[in-house]
Amino acid sequence: MSAPRLAIGGLSLGYDGEVFLRGIDLTVDAGEIVAILGPSGSGKSTLLSTIAGVVPEVEGTITVDGRDVTHAPIHERGVGLIFQEPLLFPHLDVGRNVAYGLRRHGVGRTEAGRRSVELLTWLGLPGYESGRINELSGGQAQRVALARALAPRPAVLGLDEPFSALDTELRQRLAVEVAAMIRESGVAALHVTHDPREAETVADRVIELSALGH
Amino acid sequence: MSSTPVWLRWTWVVPAAFLTVFLVYPLVVLVATVTSGAGVSLIDPLLAPTIWQVTALATVQALVSTALAVVVGLPLANVVSRYRFRGRAVAQALVTVPFVLPTVVVALAFRSLLGSGVPQGFVLVVLAHAYVNLAVVARIVGAQWAQHSGDYESVARTLGASRWRAFVDVTLPSLRSAIASSAAVVFVFSFTSLGIVLLLGDPTTRTLESQILRQTSVLLDFPGAAATALVQLVIVTAVLLGGAVAARRSPARRLQPVGLRPLPSRLGARTAVLLTAIAAFVIVLAPVAALVAASLRGGSGWTLSWWASLGSIDAGTTRLGSPLQAVLTSLGYAGLTAAVAAVIGGLAAIAVIAPGRARAVGLLALVPLGVSAATLGLGILLAFGRPPWDLRATGLLIPIAHSLVAVPLVVAVVAPGLRSTDTRLMSVASTLGAHATRAFWTAYGPVLRVVIVGSAALAGAVSLGEFGAATFLGRAAGPTVPVQIVRLLGRPGEQSLGVAAALAVVLVLLTLVLVLIVDRLGATPSTRRSGTA
Repeated sequence: MSAPRLAIGGLSLGYDGEVFLRGIDLTVDAGEIVAILGPSGSGKSTLLSTIAGVVPEVEGTITVDGRDVTHAPIHERGVGLIFQEPLLFPHLDVGRNVAYGLRRHGVGRTEAGRRSVELLTWLGLPGYESGRINELSGGQAQRVALARALAPRPAVLGLDEPFSALDTELRQRLAVEVAAMIRESGVAALHVTHDPREAETVADRVIELSALGH
Repeated sequence: MSSTPVWLRWTWVVPAAFLTVFLVYPLVVLVATVTSGAGVSLIDPLLAPTIWQVTALATVQALVSTALAVVVGLPLANVVSRYRFRGRAVAQALVTVPFVLPTVVVALAFRSLLGSGVPQGFVLVVLAHAYVNLAVVARIVGAQWAQHSGDYESVARTLGASRWRAFVDVTLPSLRSAIASSAAVVFVFSFTSLGIVLLLGDPTTRTLESQILRQTSVLLDFPGAAATALVQLVIVTAVLLGGAVAARRSPARRLQPVGLRPLPSRLGARTAVLLTAIAAFVIVLAPVAALVAASLRGGSGWTLSWWASLGSIDAGTTRLGSPLQAVLTSLGYAGLTAAVAAVIGGLAAIAVIAPGRARAVGLLALVPLGVSAATLGLGILLAFGRPPWDLRATGLLIPIAHSLVAVPLVVAVVAPGLRSTDTRLMSVASTLGAHATRAFWTAYGPVLRVVIVGSAALAGAVSLGEFGAATFLGRAAGPTVPVQIVRLLGRPGEQSLGVAAALAVVLVLLTLVLVLIVDRLGATPSTRRSGTA
């Protein structure tokens, strides 16, 4: 069996000088979705932000595809993030939002445009590339956010309660669809949520955050 | 507004009457004076090349000033409005100081600071304009930037953008509306500058404003002055409208109240933030320190003699009064201006929020922003400086002109204060038995008391530092402090410079006292947001 795409060893979680969880060990394989379950404010989001490098780590190691990225800058880690809100760039149209990461990874404008059209089609949004982001519904916007995050082919994708702003029915449907697409893409996904049902729906493994460390 | 008191529908009458008599009528007289002469038309001066040469010079100067203010103001906005560090509140207050300093004082301060190293002209004028307007950029952009959580930047970073790239791709576009608004304001201030241009400029830094002064006081070319004023009015209006359109077109990013963030943990970023904060202190304080030093220094070392001679008639230029008398004159005008502007502006602001068509008064009250102070001064002099309406002896012309300049600011302070009051408070008071007027005061009284006093102090500060209108209207009465400073600087000799510097320091202190009052009051009103969830 190949090495895990994401491996975390002895990681501490903290924010603004305060440490609230220590000794986290976790591995996630390609195409695997691991759900981290915990109540609001327990540090689930901080875990994702720490892996992505948005919050500086306190101690421990983070390895992505066998490469130690513990001290690497955010944009060189190969870790994508999806938040509760889609956070689509309001000044770019749908296609350029999706192409953004490709362009930052040196893909030419034409090729990036072609690939974002492909991705949007794959995610059920064909023909939306020149649409304005404020014309998208909540579910569509979250799909575009997924397309944008997957476009540069990250090794790891962190999903921070990405469906919590949607209504129940849409949340269920989108969760199933997104899970299928993540598996197909081969990314190692960490999905944090406070909803046990959502965790069971999408994940291959469900872990309580409090069980990860001490 | 429910159960509105009847008088509320009529608050527009007083400001409308004031603005019609002292703003509209003088402007009509100005145009009429110009066009009534035989064979004189507004067209001829517009065909003269000078007016367009000056326009081009002023445009280039204002563009460079604006660019510099934005480039320096952005990092200041970032540091002062987003990060938590010791001295942040002081830094934020300090950044505002240059904006409230009278332009004449800023000019003298820059002359004291750089006078020996940088020759008078373009560079000195641009530096002084950028200095004055730092606060405009830092405050307007900072207010928007403070509501950025940084999530969008994090997303861009995880997609492969470097820190700088994320700033350019994500942060800058979302600040575009604030940058456009502040840049438009800075451009207008630099384009219509008078005091700084007169004291620090050379022939390459003329503005239409200084041209108006020259045409009326040296060339006695009134048609030319009116044409120049007209061109300036059109350009200023176009720029302000353009800024508003650009601001509205900018796509909105989700904004949220975000607390101040801790200093970055990485050493490089942390150092950059702290160095920027220190730079803010140095940039703001260096010219003021140079001014204070100039007031204490003579050819043979440190001296208090400039301060001692503030009370002596010999130190003045008019032989009518001492520099200290100019201070008393200015204080008197400032007090009158504060009272008149607060009443007129306050009533106009109430009219703006009241139901009905009275909102037009609010718009009329904003007109002085576009009409330059020199144009206002000239118009008032023509309308009320000769029979049958000769008001020169009353000493009211300057306070009236200053009130016109200050009224837009009063409206800008009072109207948002009133709007932030929950209108349902009036309904609640009514249901508890208060009659309409009582209910209005219960709801709006607390905010109104605070913002009216605050804006009165602001109007007083404006009056203390105003130069353009005072230079037109100040001939009959004693000069105001800024006019006196300019006259002193027009005389040779180190005594004139030293006394001017001492007088400028007095003006700085008086202005700061008024601004502290504004700040103190501005921090305390218990503003209640309407529609609280």
